[in-house]
Amino acid sequence: MDLLPSADQLDLARVAADFLAEELPRDRIRQRADESSSLDPHAWAGCADLGLFGLSVPEELGGAGCGVEEEALLFRELGRQVAPGPFLSTVLAAQLAVAVGDGDLVASVVAGKTAVGLAALRPGGTFNEHRVRGDLDLIDAVDAPLVLLLGPAGAALVETAQLGDVQPVPSIDPGVRLAAASGVDAPVSAWLPAAVQPLYLRGLVLTAAMLVGIAEACRDASTEYAKTREQFGRPIGVNQAVKHKCADMAVQAELGMAQVYFAAVSVASGRDDAELQARTAKVVAAHAATVNAASNVQVHGGMGYTWENDAHLFVKRVEVLENVLGGRTEHLGQIIALPAPQ
Amino acid sequence: MDLDFSADQRDFRDQVRTWLHDNKPRHERPRAAAGIREYDLAWQRTQFEGGWAGISWPTEYGGRGLSLIEQLIWFEEYGRAGLPSVDANFVGLNHAGPTLMTRARDDQKAQHLRQILAGEVVWCQGFSEPGAGSDLAALSTRAEIDGDDLVVSGQKIWTSFAHVADWQELLVRTSRTGSKHQGITWVICDMHTPGIEVRPIRTMDGEAEFCEVFYDDVRIPLANVVGEVDQGWSVAMSTLSFERGTAFTAGQVRLASTVEQLIELAKERTGPDGRRPAIADDELARRLATARAEVAALRAMTYVGISRSARTGTPGPEGSIVKLYYSEMVKHVARLAMDILGQDGLRYVSRWVPGGWSGNYLYSYSQTIGGGTSEVQRNIIGDRILGLPR
Ligand SMILES: Cc1cc2nc3c(=O)[nH]c(=O)nc-3n(C[C@H](O)[C@H](O)[C@H](O)COP(=O)(O)OP(=O)(O)OC[C@H]3O[C@@H](n4cnc5c(N)ncnc54)[C@H](O)[C@@H]3O)c2cc1C
Repeated sequence: MDLLPSADQLDLARVAADFLAEELPRDRIRQRADESSSLDPHAWAGCADLGLFGLSVPEELGGAGCGVEEEALLFRELGRQVAPGPFLSTVLAAQLAVAVGDGDLVASVVAGKTAVGLAALRPGGTFNEHRVRGDLDLIDAVDAPLVLLLGPAGAALVETAQLGDVQPVPSIDPGVRLAAASGVDAPVSAWLPAAVQPLYLRGLVLTAAMLVGIAEACRDASTEYAKTREQFGRPIGVNQAVKHKCADMAVQAELGMAQVYFAAVSVASGRDDAELQARTAKVVAAHAATVNAASNVQVHGGMGYTWENDAHLFVKRVEVLENVLGGRTEHLGQIIALPAPQ
Repeated sequence: MDLDFSADQRDFRDQVRTWLHDNKPRHERPRAAAGIREYDLAWQRTQFEGGWAGISWPTEYGGRGLSLIEQLIWFEEYGRAGLPSVDANFVGLNHAGPTLMTRARDDQKAQHLRQILAGEVVWCQGFSEPGAGSDLAALSTRAEIDGDDLVVSGQKIWTSFAHVADWQELLVRTSRTGSKHQGITWVICDMHTPGIEVRPIRTMDGEAEFCEVFYDDVRIPLANVVGEVDQGWSVAMSTLSFERGTAFTAGQVRLASTVEQLIELAKERTGPDGRRPAIADDELARRLATARAEVAALRAMTYVGISRSARTGTPGPEGSIVKLYYSEMVKHVARLAMDILGQDGLRYVSRWVPGGWSGNYLYSYSQTIGGGTSEVQRNIIGDRILGLPR
């Protein structure tokens, strides 16, 4: 038992972190706020060159053959950078394509030529191996030929063209494009039952990993500001009201990180309590990110309320990720119903 | 990143489980001081004789010489079996023992370590004073060097189990020059020495587990000093990092079992509406689910801590994160139990008795104070982990 990442895993995370800081700085969100797509084509191509989309695609299909653990480390970095673009749905779609044997789609995603958007059913909607019915919210599906739906029973790919009239709607997050499709009744083009591979649980782990990245970035931003911003002739971080906020942010970040590692290994190894661990990761990481993002605004004072500062980018992305793949209330309902952890 | 235990470690777990099942204490822990001492020591002796004391202690001191992973497995099985916390043996096993191992002379180790493991002696911790709690370095219990002895006068307070202890890890002031962190000495004090007077203090839960200790010209051989005279602060800090490092593992596992017991309780008991079980109440159900999620994450954090210690060899300041989160959570869970019990929580039941939720609730208040308050842990996290200015 060693729950910490290995040296190789840390190297991989560092390479991804350096690349993202260079090619997808958080400021890019502001620069592209008025573009129709959140996806920065140049950076997306760079991610493909680096092999990010094929990280856990088998080597014989052109990927790096890694697993959920390495993916979690990558998504933590994507979260830290509040990276814009449909990374989650695209990476998971590649897994689905591998599982159903769609080699063309795998190759196209790995090469960065196909991005896949995320579709979330609104209340009352349903989907199964045949069809998706109801109203959908589409996340970063602009220009994406496919959207991915994820649920506890399975994962489905649907052609965007089949969704009918898709209307862009304003998004709370300037790094995420939202659209709505109503009265959808569309065929599913590929289906992966959870019994074959629990893609939903994998999605929960990766979403939680992004939330942890945000919780850590907020801790770091606040700590840095608390060391440098001076009031009353001293750095604000000498005051316990500020210092203890930062300490609590460190606790939340550590807790979320540890649980994401635990859940990643649980899902990868198919532990009996993998579902409980993955849902727990989502709940704990979302809580960590929510409180850290809020504290980070407060620690920055007036600066924290500006468009120029990154604090609002964290707040907004947390809101999106909290709602992706089920919110807190839904997961808590399942956590109490599941058998005790192993 | 892995959660796999080796075949040997899985074997080890099976052996621990079987042994604990066959040998655990069968009768209730007594309440009176003398009874507690005998009970806790007898249980420690049973573990030692069975070859199960000091899993990660070196074999030369009577331990098993195994890794932190086996120590974790032991704590997990111990917690799962619902066994009593080590209480009177806590200081010996988790503070004094590890400190002696890393800082004491060979003859001091030879004299004390095996006795601690074998359940022959009770140790207590004489750090806090009326004027020196969070600000431990402000301690003023005086010690003058006289020939081969230290002569100690002053007072300690909140000393858990002092009334039943044989030995004490004692911090005294041997010099007043320089900063307050200088001039402190860490010394092994025989609690049976003339001039020591122990007065138990009744606590919020009605028990008497901690004491005031008065020292009136108490002579302690200089040979009992651990490290150098005046250099005791760094010895004390290594003690505290052990306390914050690994010592909470058993408690964390016990807390996870407590949450599971509460979930069962909420299924059995009628809830606030007087008709359906407590678990059918949305608020209680969500708080229970949150507690289950949080103890799962606490376990993950414990695993991360152990993985880190296994790599670096010593517990780091991150132990303060675990201590802070763990102790705050103990309080949340104890509070939740009271909300599930409703009016039945008015009946006092000692925490040593099964179903002692109300006693446990009162006891929980101590958790964010003892071992360094939550506020002090936040200071440590801010200063030492995050590097914030003081
Ligand atoms: C059950 C129990 C068992 C104990 N057992 C032992 C034992 O065996 N041996 C031993 O030596 N001690 C023991 N203690 C003592 C314990 O270590 C002290 O109580 C603790 O360190 C706090 O010191 P204090 O009680 O003097 O409180 P104070 O230090 O006076 O603190 C009072 C309040 O002020 C806050 N505060 C103080 N300083 C700061 C600061 N700088 N920043 C922010 N807030 C601050 C504290 O957090 C607290 O809320 C035990 C305590 C308990 C409750």
